[in-house]
Amino acid sequence: MAGLLKKTTGLVGLAVSQNPHERLRVLYAKILASLQTIPQDAAYRKYTEQFINEKINHVNTEPDVEKLEMKINCGQIEEVISQAEQELFLSRKMAEWKPWEPLIEEPPPNQWKWPI
Amino acid sequence: MASTAATRSAAGAVRVVKPIFSRDLDEAKLRVRQLYKAWYREVPNTVTVYQLDITAQQGREKVREMFFKNRHITDPRVIDMLVIKGKMEFQETINVWKQKTHIMRYFHETETPRPTDFLSKFYTGHDP
Amino acid sequence: MAASLVRFVRGGLHRSFNFANRNAVLMQARMETTTTETRPTVRPKDAVTHNQLSAFGEYVAEMLPKYVQQVQVTCFNELEVMIHPEGIIPVLTFLRDHTNAQFRNMTDLTAVDIPTRQNRFEIVYNLLSLRYNSRIRVKTYTDELTPVDSSVSVHNAANWYEREVWDMYGVFFANHPDLRRILTDYGFEGHPFRKDFPLSGYVEVRYDDEVKRVVAEPVELSQEFRKFDLNSPWEVFPAHREPKDSPKLEAGDQKVETK
Repeated sequence: MAGLLKKTTGLVGLAVSQNPHERLRVLYAKILASLQTIPQDAAYRKYTEQFINEKINHVNTEPDVEKLEMKINCGQIEEVISQAEQELFLSRKMAEWKPWEPLIEEPPPNQWKWPI
Repeated sequence: MASTAATRSAAGAVRVVKPIFSRDLDEAKLRVRQLYKAWYREVPNTVTVYQLDITAQQGREKVREMFFKNRHITDPRVIDMLVIKGKMEFQETINVWKQKTHIMRYFHETETPRPTDFLSKFYTGHDP
Repeated sequence: MAASLVRFVRGGLHRSFNFANRNAVLMQARMETTTTETRPTVRPKDAVTHNQLSAFGEYVAEMLPKYVQQVQVTCFNELEVMIHPEGIIPVLTFLRDHTNAQFRNMTDLTAVDIPTRQNRFEIVYNLLSLRYNSRIRVKTYTDELTPVDSSVSVHNAANWYEREVWDMYGVFFANHPDLRRILTDYGFEGHPFRKDFPLSGYVEVRYDDEVKRVVAEPVELSQEFRKFDLNSPWEVFPAHREPKDSPKLEAGDQKVETK
């Protein structure tokens, strides 16, 4: 109901979403699918899966958009959608970069010592 | 401690460095030649566009002199850096972002040559 | 002052151990001073913010162990993440796109020149997260000839900042869309913010009446050599001072000396 009455998000370039629940479900499913390519013990996968699952839970249990916004507590639902889109983009990039590997190179001695 | 570590790393085998563009000297030389050709072709145009009081021949000699000033450099990374700067100068020249004064600065017309031998140094007086 | 509150969350194996040792000592020293100091001008500690920031720093370091070399929180409660130069794009993208970070604004990008180091330039990225109202500083390093990946693909704001760093320090940014001078005049040579650039510059500019144009001539008062005496007569960073009174020599060496 609130979604129907809502005319604008008040943010430039961010249109009102007509069916946020469906969109979020699709995005979160995609994120979880792309996280499958990352090793199980990688911290990125662990933490991201954790909070994505929490959000999926909220989306599934709460049909009212305004209450859902309150529960997720990350701004308007359209912003949550854009965050999910970015997370999806990032998770695909992460699989490419493999940042869970050990440190490539130690800094040279005294690199981070200040004052020298 | 830092110095010992530095000398160790310097003494220890070849330090692998990230190339700027060129992987070896031949590739760097190729880039230098490309830049030189570009400048060489551009000189007559520059002389007319900027209405310089020099001939194209003088301009080309100056380009040649500028390139030969750095002929002793053999490190591909340093060559690449110089080529990058040369390309930026070239861009500034062909787009006429520079003015006449900037082009003529290469020729050092108004500078009096520094005294070299003892007597001329003595005549010019105070010279630290 | 700074180091005492700096908390090293993560570092190299043996190095972090050393640092932790020294830090523990410094921390103790600091504790002692704060308990005695009751002056009102001393900046009050904000333990809550400090803990939040260090927790987030640990989170980032755990997520990206490949790139993060060290994480610290300064005495002014600023989170600093030190990364390897390879990881600029991944770390900045992670900080921008991760739901728990959302550092979507690049407020500043600059460099610091420390000529005594092996990699003399430090590149500093300051990021702002509007969602969580917090800031983070990402630092990496390079030298005169090593190209750094341009962050324009992540933050468009970096475009002019990187041009500025190129112009002032001569750090080359690979894959920058439009790298050229931004502050200096055409035909200017050198990079003015480098420490070895003389204060007076190399050329001076004047109008010449004979050739009817502005000419640049070598400056007469050229400073051949600048000596940087960084030792102030006042104690600027008392906490950073290496303990002078600590015995440096082993017992055996001392005996040799006394003989």
